[in-house]
Amino acid sequence: MTTETIRSSYPVRVVSPLVREIPVTSRADMQVPVRIYADDELWSQIASDRSVEQCVNVATLPGVTGHVYAMPDVHEGYGFPVGGVAATRAKDGVISPGGVGYDINCGVRLLGSGLQLDEARAKLEPVVHDLSRSIPSGPGRNPRLDLRAEELDQVLDRGCRFMVECGLAAAEDLETIEAEGSLPGAEARQVSSKAKQRGHHQLGTIGSGNHFVEVQVVDQVFEPDTAEAYGLRQGQLTVLIHTGSRGLGHQVCTDYVRQMDQVMALYRISLPDRQLACAPLESPPGQAYFGAMCAAANFAWANRQAITESARAVFRRAFGDAGRLRVVYDVAHNIAKLEEHGGALLCVHRKGATRAFGPANRETPERYRAVGQPVFIPGSMGTASYVLAGNDAALDLSFGSTCHGAGRAMSRGEAKRARTGAEVRRELEDKGIIVRCPSSGELAEEAPSAYKDVERVVDVVHRAGLARKVVRLRPVGVIKG
Amino acid sequence: MNLVQSSHEIIDHASEVRLRIRAASMSELLAEAGRALAKLQLRESGGTPVPKRRDIEVSASDSAALLAEWLNELIFLSETEAWVPVQFEVTRATETSAKVRASGMSLDRVSGLVKAATLHGLRVDGIPGGLEGEVILDV
Repeated sequence: MTTETIRSSYPVRVVSPLVREIPVTSRADMQVPVRIYADDELWSQIASDRSVEQCVNVATLPGVTGHVYAMPDVHEGYGFPVGGVAATRAKDGVISPGGVGYDINCGVRLLGSGLQLDEARAKLEPVVHDLSRSIPSGPGRNPRLDLRAEELDQVLDRGCRFMVECGLAAAEDLETIEAEGSLPGAEARQVSSKAKQRGHHQLGTIGSGNHFVEVQVVDQVFEPDTAEAYGLRQGQLTVLIHTGSRGLGHQVCTDYVRQMDQVMALYRISLPDRQLACAPLESPPGQAYFGAMCAAANFAWANRQAITESARAVFRRAFGDAGRLRVVYDVAHNIAKLEEHGGALLCVHRKGATRAFGPANRETPERYRAVGQPVFIPGSMGTASYVLAGNDAALDLSFGSTCHGAGRAMSRGEAKRARTGAEVRRELEDKGIIVRCPSSGELAEEAPSAYKDVERVVDVVHRAGLARKVVRLRPVGVIKG
Repeated sequence: MNLVQSSHEIIDHASEVRLRIRAASMSELLAEAGRALAKLQLRESGGTPVPKRRDIEVSASDSAALLAEWLNELIFLSETEAWVPVQFEVTRATETSAKVRASGMSLDRVSGLVKAATLHGLRVDGIPGGLEGEVILDV
């Protein structure tokens, strides 16, 4: 074991080639150590921003237990780093809205088609165009799905179960969605009228930022048996949806960060960063946030479901029955969940981190019990994405978590200075990728060069035992939010 | 002592946007923060000036929280009404509350939407001749 010093001046213990630790003694207010999964190259990027310091701040939360974990894609955020995992004891620990983030249940859903790329190629351009017309992107509304107040409350309380009743989901879709797309603790009444105003016309929309819908092809299979269990095969056309709870979730976070900032003194909580504002999970504000957060998570699952239905209609128009899209899986990467770990009930905060449960976990869907739950790690726009499988061993390594993407390496401003939107569009088109994006500026911000190397990030995840590589997906069409 | 001229800087952050504002008073700080946010919200899309005026009242526990609260209110209005306030007449401002008459631009589509003003690194400090505030915006 060796020690290193990083920019933030905390001592770093090298536990193994892929694991570094900031000891609990590094700062007087730390409750637990911090563990960072990275190889040397990723570590040098991680150590160059404030993500380690932000992990150390998270390690001061009351009731935090085990380790605070940083995934290989971790980068500086606000409060929690993006790519951070922290668990607090349910009985006497806190819940922090900042530990979930503004885009509650931002997540990824993969749809598998019955088509091979070769048989669909001739219709690909019109299909991508039709997807871009059918699925509103950017900060827009969905004119085709404006919910009445009572319908929105049903979405919030029951998520995808309500979508089944509305004919916007098949019952079998729910079997392969995390928590079946419906968290039991959801309480629409804890969601403010402002949040509902922001969300009522946004169901079925991608949003902006790094959100997207991509048409992809399975271009490499690493674990054939697991790929088969997921219904994935070489050359198959798939659709990947990356979005979350839109303005509704943003407002829920805004409302409860403000509320917890005001009540922390009542609970004698003092923290190094105001954005970590929190309250005991069992307290009235803690319970209110938990109910609202679960409701916003249900909204996000319903959002990805509504987008699924739009994509299904497009594929049906283009390919008939052969274009049927099946939900491979849908997984959140900004969420706090109540989970049992080591016999204790914990509130696991995953911000920019994906749950990765193995075969033995009862929350892994029945049909994937032999192989573990699917995990999706989307690359940056235009680069490969990966499907991985959860490992049981990850429970002890990271509370059953892995990373959520490539992770930003460049600020949005730097990205725009490095390349114009037109250049990025040309680069993608030169690779044979069909691009639909209304804003050149946003295209430049999400350029592949602004992100870490997803291959390296996934490699660390695989080698560290957090999850196993199953297939690689190559984009052929991008609808950018 | 000369009073600080209102100004703002939009500073790079790893994944978000950091806004630094300087002004002679809390009233002017809020107005300048509103103008900076409008610049981010309008970005490529421009907009159409509309005669609509609106009175906005906000309150918070301290001056830094007031800055975040003010920006969050403007973000809410721009998302729900596709209306971005660009001119501000602050009729009352203390460290913990403000009343502002705003007029702005109506949009077909809000581009460069800012999602929220965070509390991370949030501050409003006294500087010679005025105040300096800093806030990180989730974009």
